Amino acid sequence: MKSYCLGPLCICFCVIFILNSCSTATPKKVHNVYTVEIKQMKFQPAELVVQKGDTIVWINRDLVAHDVTEVPDKTWTSSPIPPGKSWSLVVSQSADYYCSIHVVMKGKILMR
Amino acid sequence: MKLLMNCKVLIASVIACSFMFSVPVFAQVNKLSDAEIASVAVVANQIDINYAAIAKMKSKNSDILRFAETMASDHKAVIDQAVALVKKLGVTPKDNAVSRKLMSESEKTKRMLRSKSGMAFNKAYIDNEVAYHKAVISTVEGLLIPQANNRELKDLLQNVVPTLRTHLEHAIMVQNEISK
Repeated sequence: MKSYCLGPLCICFCVIFILNSCSTATPKKVHNVYTVEIKQMKFQPAELVVQKGDTIVWINRDLVAHDVTEVPDKTWTSSPIPPGKSWSLVVSQSADYYCSIHVVMKGKILMR
Repeated sequence: MKLLMNCKVLIASVIACSFMFSVPVFAQVNKLSDAEIASVAVVANQIDINYAAIAKMKSKNSDILRFAETMASDHKAVIDQAVALVKKLGVTPKDNAVSRKLMSESEKTKRMLRSKSGMAFNKAYIDNEVAYHKAVISTVEGLLIPQANNRELKDLLQNVVPTLRTHLEHAIMVQNEISK
């Protein structure tokens, strides 16, 4: 008689334990990777909305070298990216940037 | 009366100059072959590298020096691409009326630039860069692209135009900066 009562009880405990585990688990944060093409002497797209921890990859598809440099303080820079090469950055804050070789080329990172 | 005469001379000079710059270099040339177009492309890029070399020797202005550095590296990159393409196509760049005219004009300009110093040099250099890039864009779009037969040569010329436009925009920015 006792064994009949313990069976459903154990099942109930297991179900509660499983449900409880699911509800309290922290969802794993997914970081996205975005691509900015440098072509026709432009950053394409020129403006990108991302989340903290996302990665942006700049690919130089032009004939000439470019760089990606934060403005106004130059807190980070890619250094020259030769044609066909790329450079990436993990975003920690919003920033304006430009190409310090071709100062009229500008871009923007907006962090949500 | 003398003032009126001076004004007339000035107006005539301005009209003559504006006509000179507005008439494209290709107005009187015959159709160019791909080998001749390749020559014009290489010469036009080399001329601006030569101007940049003079600027790097004569100027101390950081905007001018940075611009000159960009001109030297970008135009060298374009020449490298053009040379790689003509090698691939088995074409030998051929001297012609347009490349000869560009070269002879550039000799005069180099003499003019070498005769100046300080702020006068900076102004002369950047004014020339603005005028030169306008003329080259006009030549590439109005003569070289329409007359190029080979698809890859045409594509290369079309890809160079945004670079030239960016150089022009940059030159105008520096021109405004140094005239303040």
